[in-house]
Amino acid sequence: MTFKPLILSTLALAIMAPAALAGPLTVTLENIQKQTGAIRLGVYDAAGYEGGKAVSGADVAVNAATVSVTVEGLAPGEYGIKLFHDVNGDGEMNSNPFGMPTEPFAFSNNAKGRFGPAKWDDARFEVTEDGAVQIITLN
Amino acid sequence: MSLSRRHFLTTSAAGTAVFGLGLSPAFADTPAMPDWHLGYTSAPAGGFDPEPMRLVFGKVPKGLEGCLYRNGPAQFRYGKDDFASHWFDGDGMIQRIAIADGKAVHSGRFVQTTKRRIEQAHGKFMAPGFGTAGHPDFPVMGPDDVNAANTSVIVIDGQLYALWEGGSAIALDAATLETQGVKAWSDDLAGMPFLAHPKREPDGTVWNLAINGGNVGVYRIAADGSLKSFGLLNIGKAAYIHDWAMTDRHLVILVQPWINEAFRPPVVDGFEWRPEEGFKFLIVDKNDFSNRRWAQGPARAFYHTGAAWEDADGTIRIDAALYKEPVLGVGGGVDEIRGVWKGREARFQSDLTQIVIPPSGDARLVETGLDGDFPQVDPRRHGLPRRLTALMTGQPASRPGLSGVSVHDWETGTTDTFDFGESRMVEEFLFVPKPDRQGEADSWLIGPVLNLRTATSEICVFDAARVSDGPVCIWRGDRAWPLGFHGTWA
Repeated sequence: MTFKPLILSTLALAIMAPAALAGPLTVTLENIQKQTGAIRLGVYDAAGYEGGKAVSGADVAVNAATVSVTVEGLAPGEYGIKLFHDVNGDGEMNSNPFGMPTEPFAFSNNAKGRFGPAKWDDARFEVTEDGAVQIITLN
Repeated sequence: MSLSRRHFLTTSAAGTAVFGLGLSPAFADTPAMPDWHLGYTSAPAGGFDPEPMRLVFGKVPKGLEGCLYRNGPAQFRYGKDDFASHWFDGDGMIQRIAIADGKAVHSGRFVQTTKRRIEQAHGKFMAPGFGTAGHPDFPVMGPDDVNAANTSVIVIDGQLYALWEGGSAIALDAATLETQGVKAWSDDLAGMPFLAHPKREPDGTVWNLAINGGNVGVYRIAADGSLKSFGLLNIGKAAYIHDWAMTDRHLVILVQPWINEAFRPPVVDGFEWRPEEGFKFLIVDKNDFSNRRWAQGPARAFYHTGAAWEDADGTIRIDAALYKEPVLGVGGGVDEIRGVWKGREARFQSDLTQIVIPPSGDARLVETGLDGDFPQVDPRRHGLPRRLTALMTGQPASRPGLSGVSVHDWETGTTDTFDFGESRMVEEFLFVPKPDRQGEADSWLIGPVLNLRTATSEICVFDAARVSDGPVCIWRGDRAWPLGFHGTWA
């Protein structure tokens, strides 16, 4: 009957669903100068990277010079990370009177910008069914 | 054989190079350069270890004890032909001449900036700068990534800083010259620029500016190095500001009509000379930034002021080396760096001028006709009434650079000069007050001179009261260091 294929396909989707998610993205943050506040990290896809619309993210409390976080639930695909160390824990990326950031910041692949944030092409990386690992050094 | 010794040495060097005995390409083509090119030749990457200089003339005056620190670009070339694109973009090197017990000891170290670390690793110029477009892969996450730290120095409470104008001050060990790191005067001022011409009041308070287009930050730093206040002003347009002036009561920001509205590297390409806009002066009460006024005068370009003071009626007087139009713009110094001298252009003559700003109305210019630059004053009288301004003068036709030391007396209108002639390249001379003496002329003038006959750098001392008598003493080193910009005595 007509219901049968629908049920079957729903079942198939249910079974397939875990496979549609990527493995965990493990991000290790190194060279943290001040052990206070939190690292605020955003994970972006190609569409959201420039505009700053994150698909996922994490706040990582800083209690050591190196900290790690695992981001789960991403679909397989290409992502970029933007992060800053909210040293004073005020939730903002602080800047000096001329608008330059006064708190450390970094990008995936340790990509560097040139008179602005790192470009998507330099920051993007693949998250597969096996997940991905990013080791990012703060300046 | 009729080969001269020089010929013998030259062929011998070429022969050794052929056999791969380790002569650098820089050495191999040195004979092609004119003698004055020593002033624009890269210093050794490892710097100059401390080495005594010899007293070769005169007697060291009693009481002359302290350190002369100087800064200037000292990396002009990588490999055979990767030359710096502008004199202002060479990496800064600090020269230190310590004078004690009649002896002088010279040492020098490059400031270890991010720019220098990356360029040294790649063996080529890469950072964008004042006159350099830069390599597209060179990362620029903030102004200090391109900080050349090459313009001046200051010592505050024993701490030495190398200064640039677009980035932070960089802290150095005052004895060893080792780089300690980028200075933030407070957490929320990290990465703010710190101009290369801070002004020090006689009580030790240091004032300085941060420039970003038309926005101007004002630092007030106590004699102990702590930040007392930071304020913001706006000058309405993105004028080039290298130096400024200060009286005991006011800050004076000199807004020359050399405007850059497209602040992209190479920065110098974006400047426009707009003489129709005139020369404007923003006068700001040091104790109340909201109390300010503007004055205006005829269009002039400048790099350096001496200092300023106020008459009893509030008239402000500023001495400065003014030009009819900007000098050292696009390509500034590139010929000299390559050993090429095309002669001086008459339109680039300066004129030591007193800018007189009455309590109300327009400014007027009192011109001395004295062509020179690097004006300096008695530090005991910075911001206060005084008579004397030292100026480096004398421009030989045969080579770049200056050859004379002058002291101008504003009261008598006379100038006292000693000119070394073509064989010496003169750098900035500083006033050093004689201990336990109070008069303005009770000072020495101390500075470096590059001796082209011996191909070595010298330190000369004059009596500020009698410059035309010639140096009172000269120390000579066994090596030459490139011409620098500005120094301090501590």
